[in-house]
Amino acid sequence: VASHLISKNGNNSFLMKRVSLGEFEEVVLLIVAMLDGSAYGVNITHEIIQQTNRSVRLNQVHASLHRLEEKGMIVSKMGDPKPERGGRRKRIFTITAYGQQTLYDIQAVRTNLWNLLPSSMKPSAT
Amino acid sequence: MKISFTKTTPPRWATRLLRWYCAPHRIEEVEGDLREEFEYQLQQAGLRKAQLDYIRSVFGFIRPFALKRKSTKHNPLLPMNLFKHYFTVAIRQVWRHKAFSAINVIGLTLGITCCMMIYLWVTDEYSVDNFHTKSDRLYNIYMTTVSKTGVQGMYNIPRTYDENKLYVLFEDAKDIIPEVEGIAFYHAGYAMPWGKPETFKVGDKVHKLEGSRANQDFFDMFSFPVIAGDPATALKDISSIAISRKMSDLFFENPQTAIGQSIRYENKLDFQITAVFEDLTPHTSLKFDFLANWAAHVAFKMDWASNTVNGTLLLAPGADIATVTEKLNRHASSKLPKLDGVTTTFGLQPYRDQYLQANFTNGKPSGGRIEYVRIFSGVAVFILVIACVNFMNLATARSIKRAKEVGVRKVVGSTRWYLIAQFFGEALLLSFFGLILSLILLQLLLPLFNNYTGKQIVAPLGDLTLWTKLIGLTLITGIVAGSYPALFLSSLKPVKVLKGVVSFTPSAIWMRKGMAIFQFGLSILLLVATMVMSEQTRFMQHVNLGYNKENLVYFSMEGELVTYDKYLAFKEAALKRPGVLMVDRSSEAPHSMGFLVDEDDGIAETNKADDSAIKWEGKQKGDKVGFKPTSVGFDFVGLMNLEIIEGRNFSRDHATDSADAFLVNEQAVKEMGMKDPIGKWVSAWQKRGHIIGVLKNYNTNSLHERIRPLIVDVKEYENFGVIMIRTEPGKTKQALASLEKLYKEFNPNYPFVFRFVNEDYNKMYKSEQMMTKLSNTFAALAITISCLGLLGLIMFSAEQRTREIGIRKALGATVSNIVRLLSKDSITIILVSFCIAAPVAAYLMGEWLNGFAYKIGLSWWIFASAGLAALSVALLTISFQAIQSARANPVDSLRSE
Repeated sequence: VASHLISKNGNNSFLMKRVSLGEFEEVVLLIVAMLDGSAYGVNITHEIIQQTNRSVRLNQVHASLHRLEEKGMIVSKMGDPKPERGGRRKRIFTITAYGQQTLYDIQAVRTNLWNLLPSSMKPSAT
Repeated sequence: MKISFTKTTPPRWATRLLRWYCAPHRIEEVEGDLREEFEYQLQQAGLRKAQLDYIRSVFGFIRPFALKRKSTKHNPLLPMNLFKHYFTVAIRQVWRHKAFSAINVIGLTLGITCCMMIYLWVTDEYSVDNFHTKSDRLYNIYMTTVSKTGVQGMYNIPRTYDENKLYVLFEDAKDIIPEVEGIAFYHAGYAMPWGKPETFKVGDKVHKLEGSRANQDFFDMFSFPVIAGDPATALKDISSIAISRKMSDLFFENPQTAIGQSIRYENKLDFQITAVFEDLTPHTSLKFDFLANWAAHVAFKMDWASNTVNGTLLLAPGADIATVTEKLNRHASSKLPKLDGVTTTFGLQPYRDQYLQANFTNGKPSGGRIEYVRIFSGVAVFILVIACVNFMNLATARSIKRAKEVGVRKVVGSTRWYLIAQFFGEALLLSFFGLILSLILLQLLLPLFNNYTGKQIVAPLGDLTLWTKLIGLTLITGIVAGSYPALFLSSLKPVKVLKGVVSFTPSAIWMRKGMAIFQFGLSILLLVATMVMSEQTRFMQHVNLGYNKENLVYFSMEGELVTYDKYLAFKEAALKRPGVLMVDRSSEAPHSMGFLVDEDDGIAETNKADDSAIKWEGKQKGDKVGFKPTSVGFDFVGLMNLEIIEGRNFSRDHATDSADAFLVNEQAVKEMGMKDPIGKWVSAWQKRGHIIGVLKNYNTNSLHERIRPLIVDVKEYENFGVIMIRTEPGKTKQALASLEKLYKEFNPNYPFVFRFVNEDYNKMYKSEQMMTKLSNTFAALAITISCLGLLGLIMFSAEQRTREIGIRKALGATVSNIVRLLSKDSITIILVSFCIAAPVAAYLMGEWLNGFAYKIGLSWWIFASAGLAALSVALLTISFQAIQSARANPVDSLRSE
């Protein structure tokens, strides 16, 4: 694995090989992109539950966010303290250009593959 | 409100758990998210669900990303990853240069081991007499007498006799001086000159044991644990005696049953056992297996072993020593008889100092064993320094090899501090390695060391302070050893180094040579010391003492044998036994006669204070001559092989001899100022007679003491002293076996315990023998470490000069030329160090020899052989490497470039 070639601050200039993204990570990354600058642990979890009907737990989301950050797909900064959090700050995640590119690439590969499917398997246009 | 608040918070223990395991830089967001989720669940699904969910999540977060601590911030001065790198480099260096590393580590290991041993020994010496709980309030009384003959100091409490009753000075000190809380009198029953193991009997069990007498305060003042009986009253009664566990085991079933039992002393007095104390620790200078009470002693029911009584005071907390001393002296001057021209004063010395500082100069305690402690501490430091010097020398010598490394590091951006840290680190690594090895070595050598020093030292490896000290010592060693290379190497200029023009400044070369000279100087010093000490010890053991100490056995006169006719019968019977040549008696064992009278030591020998015990014809009033008086049998002179240079020996043929005859030695004649001594009258106490002969001077004690005036008379009937037996050479064993049977017949209540004069004579030099052995060891150590260093230097210089040697050989140099070339420097070093060390050694050993009245001269051959020994060992060491490089094929060394 070439993970040691990526610096931890999201700078991917040394990247030589695309890093594969897990399915769950892809979902988390998409949600982070969707929440557009207000994503943090709790609302990401709630969104995943709402949008995908999966039962996920906070710790799984955190682990996934940690990996995404290590891979340079997202960056984070600390937000403002909130009373409902007992006065603690949130870590706000935003997607990086590299993260977006990865999403596009995945989408492109998928689209390409869908297009290659025999027409009988394609969903009806309606 | 408050209740609802506490109800709706997440379980506190779970939060605490989270805070404990979670990395500090992640805790805030994780805890915040969990809290927010909890509030959300609380509204959605209720408290129970929210709490369960919270707990599940807390456990769910136990994952590497939450646990892992952020790596510590990069320290700008000492970066951790650089440390790791240095460590690797250090290990590689050690590994690559195995020979150099081995020399360093062996040197340091020996140095540290030696230091540790000496440290343990010194601590042990300091702990003697220091375990008593009231130790800081105990003071020994010493006596200083100033008279015409000089100043003398000793541990003694004078007594005065009044109508046969003995008054011991200060026995009422507690009543007179308020600061005094207790006073302990102590008299060792085995002390010289007349002391001996004393005989005890219970039923048919008879044993000889060494013990003392002490008064009631003794157990209160000193912390000797009493295991049975009451320590407060143990020595109160005139019939009371306290015995050791060992003694109790000899006679009784167990200490408890011993209490109250009766025990017979010297077949003349019965004691009741009032206490049993634990066997004494090796850390006390008072040694006794029993303590008889003081009352019995001062009533003269027991034997006096010497003329001295030791007194120790227990002072009240905070008492002023000067005040107490003054009060003691005021009291003493009112009690002691006035002597013309003699003043007697008393002083106090902390009790715990008496073991290490028991010698007196100018009437005050100063020096003693403390000198050995100091000498050995010094030696320990020296040896460690020698080992450190090795390290410095080798590291400096090798610096050419490492100069490139330093250059590259500097170019890449290393600061000087990094380099200094690196080289210190390497030194520390090696010294800690040395520490581990020396701990192993210590465990192996400690039994041997204990055997040498007669101690029972165990390494207190569970002791934290010892470890602190060890690690401190190792750190210091590492830092000292690493200092020169660290500072020197880090100062190299990268431009010069990388160009390849590293050359040593003359000062660096001098430094290296200077350190080698220092090492060998110390080694030669120790060698000289060893040789002088062993020569002196051998001299003392083999010098002609003036009498024949071989095949001479003695034992104390006691039991039935003290009666005149029994003694005569024994003598007659003994003479018939095979192997027995002669039998006679003497009031003291001949090799260590300690009874000295009329010396101005403040001890009254007669009832009248201004009188002297020994008088002679022509004596002026006020003439003082310290005499050794002794009473012997008719055959004494023959038995001892003494020589009479004038007059005649005692003889049974002269009816008046046992009442009228005296023999004196040459020294006595000289000091009395007599001409033609034969026929002049002399008197000893009430006995007056005439000198019938003059004995050639012979040594009556160890050679520390000068030969004293001696006066001998015949008292066949004397009821104390020793019986001496001269056996036939080679038949001693046989003779003793049959004598034992004979002794049993005559003296059934006493075991036959005999001693050899020559053995006991040699025992008087125990501390000299110990010194010799130890200095032998240290000299060997020092020279080994120095030679290791020299070997390292020669290896290095041979390596440096490989090409030079190759070219020389190619041009026709012989092997011996090359060896000479390589050894030349080393020989110079040893010669110079010899020139420096010899005068220092001569001075120091001269001082040491001053402690002996009879001593060897410091002859040139001692120095010559020490120098030669150092030179030859050094040459032998370097020749190994020199010959190897000299024999190398020049093709190999010249081909390399």
